[in-house]
Amino acid sequence: MKNQTKINTFDAIVVGSGISGGWAAKELTEGGLKTLVLERGGDAEFTTSSKHPWEFTHRTHLTKEELAERPIQSSHCNATDKHFYVKDTEHPYIQEKPYKWIRGYQVGGRSITWGRQSYRFSDLDFEANKKDGFGVDWPIRYADLKEWYDYVEDYVGISGSSESIPHLPDGVFLPPIPMNAVEKHLKESIHKEYSDRTLINGRVANLTAYKKGRGQCMYRNLCSRGCPFSGYFSSNSSTLVDAYNSGKLTLRENSIVKEVLYDKETKKAIGVTIIDAITKKEMNYYAKIIFLNASAIATASILLNSVSETFPNGLGNSSLQVGHNLMDHAVNAGTYGTFNGLLDKYYEGRSPGTIYIPRFQNLNPKTENNDFIRGYGIQGKGSRENWESKTTTGIGVSLKAQLQSPGKWKISLGGRGEVLPDYNNKISLEHNNLDQWGLPLVKVHFEYGANEKAMMEHMTKTSEELLKKAGFENVGSYRNNPPPGSTVHEMGTARMGNDPKTSVLNKYNQMHDVKNVFITDGSCMTSSACQNPSLTYMAITARACKFAIDQFKTNQL
Amino acid sequence: MNRRKAIGGILAFAGIGVASVTGFNFFYGTSNRGKLKNYLNLLSEIVDVIIPPTDTPGAKEANVHEYIVAYMESCSSNKEFNSFYNGLHNLQDTCLSNYNTSFENCTKQQKTTVLESLDVTYDATSFLAKVDTKIRGRSFFNILKSLTIEGYCTSELGATKFLAYAPVPASYKAITTLQPNQKAWATK
Repeated sequence: MKNQTKINTFDAIVVGSGISGGWAAKELTEGGLKTLVLERGGDAEFTTSSKHPWEFTHRTHLTKEELAERPIQSSHCNATDKHFYVKDTEHPYIQEKPYKWIRGYQVGGRSITWGRQSYRFSDLDFEANKKDGFGVDWPIRYADLKEWYDYVEDYVGISGSSESIPHLPDGVFLPPIPMNAVEKHLKESIHKEYSDRTLINGRVANLTAYKKGRGQCMYRNLCSRGCPFSGYFSSNSSTLVDAYNSGKLTLRENSIVKEVLYDKETKKAIGVTIIDAITKKEMNYYAKIIFLNASAIATASILLNSVSETFPNGLGNSSLQVGHNLMDHAVNAGTYGTFNGLLDKYYEGRSPGTIYIPRFQNLNPKTENNDFIRGYGIQGKGSRENWESKTTTGIGVSLKAQLQSPGKWKISLGGRGEVLPDYNNKISLEHNNLDQWGLPLVKVHFEYGANEKAMMEHMTKTSEELLKKAGFENVGSYRNNPPPGSTVHEMGTARMGNDPKTSVLNKYNQMHDVKNVFITDGSCMTSSACQNPSLTYMAITARACKFAIDQFKTNQL
Repeated sequence: MNRRKAIGGILAFAGIGVASVTGFNFFYGTSNRGKLKNYLNLLSEIVDVIIPPTDTPGAKEANVHEYIVAYMESCSSNKEFNSFYNGLHNLQDTCLSNYNTSFENCTKQQKTTVLESLDVTYDATSFLAKVDTKIRGRSFFNILKSLTIEGYCTSELGATKFLAYAPVPASYKAITTLQPNQKAWATK
């Protein structure tokens, strides 16, 4: 191949260093493969992680200039963590309908800012498409993934409780983060009022016990700034460190992947072309294995931009499914209520934990819901009101007294619902509208369907009902449903499936059309379930890496 | 109570008067943004009435006025800025017409009366207030009070002397029994 040298040739290339790219880096390097990880951003600098509130000139507020640079990202960041989010003005995209594409371009990607909620999928999820006919059937079942969930959880460190819920399988857990007084109260009320619902400790990737090379959670609840103790899982705290320690890792920052290079003689991908984000120079890197882990929208855009004689519609896109079936979780903006009791109870330390009400609809004929198919779970958190949330009256000494004491208990709840795969929800490229690197802008078209809308309505009403039955007051919901993308769970743009005519990837996340290209970020998801997806990306990545390494070592790639 | 209402009425009318005279640019222009530094002394006196020194420091000692100016200069919308800037002027006008002196030189009782009158004229939860907030943005006093509270509770003195601040708790006790006079945590 042209211009191939020792310096630019590797066994494997991983595009992206976020939650799934980090895992690919760890597994491939530990499997003995000389691996190049390409990250389009620069170093992740934990500049604010130990700052006191008064060390921020504008406290948490973004300035007018910062807001203008981040009209979209600003809903997800503030002055304390803005450096982990892109400036929209530098990285534009086109929204055909409102769609939030929340991004962080740095080593570690969004593994630094993720919500850390970690729930397994079950066969209720893996069989759903087949049963009701929306989307294509998953090529895998829970049994294919179980050992990989075990493997990943053991490494990541998930705090959680074993609950024996069939559709939310237990895992390898560290001790759960305990519930506070009001959370326990809600749990007890739900158990008393409903036979079909339960409330459990949120399963969260914060360490409640020490792990090799990482410190325990310090209960500062400043996770979004990056943890100096490595108290929660991120690529930076774990997978990239192990990949580096293997001696097989090369990490190239500021590397925007323009396209995957395809050789029609061998019918394989031979490498990638990158654009250096700073010098804007193009260069090629070569490898026998390519893992795309740029996140669902970016991975699909790389494929669509990789046009060749064989693949005029984009690499591995003979099914014409690349970019389609985009999903995010349906989310209502939230329900809240205050509780005028348990006033003698408080807490010490700031919990990064949550409470979780697992899906309780359409599990079986008894729990069938007539408004929608599939279902949603509800996540939440209870705390006591403080100066930020208290309603105060007056000024002076009496105001001070009100501010100084803990207020009423309150709980906020938010539903997370499954979005059905829909061919019409998609990303495409605008070739006549280029970014500063000369790459076509991504255009997103996404609309919630009737099923998602019915689910959002239901989750809001249900959340209110749960709180009212538990004796909460001032129960209300923000009924301005946030636009899709707000959950930051984009998935499905290069789905897995058994049939190459209707899917992009096979059961090992290998492209049907191009056997040495693997995709294990959110793109690969065949359905969305309602659980937070990152844990599943990690398990799927580790599994696909094992397969790829075996194939590599037996010269099948 | 009557006096409070009277002063509130004066303020409301004064606000409308200024708006109609100076028109669109006054509300939407940015020309006054740099001038707020000139009001640091006035603001320090105001915030010290809202959060006075007691057995814990007051807002003035915690430099809350500096935070308010920094916020208003860099973070506020034009609507919010102008509403705030107007409000400060109206406040001074009220003091001058009622007490023949500036806010800074008023007695402690007079200062309190003026600020309390502003507080009672605004019920943020009322329907009209919500409509008003949507159209005109937050009121002067709403902005002033919430920035004073935020600035104070997140200041070093406010967080560490007035509230309970634990930068690195290290452990989490999910359920504790509240002790008499136990202070609220500064951060959530």
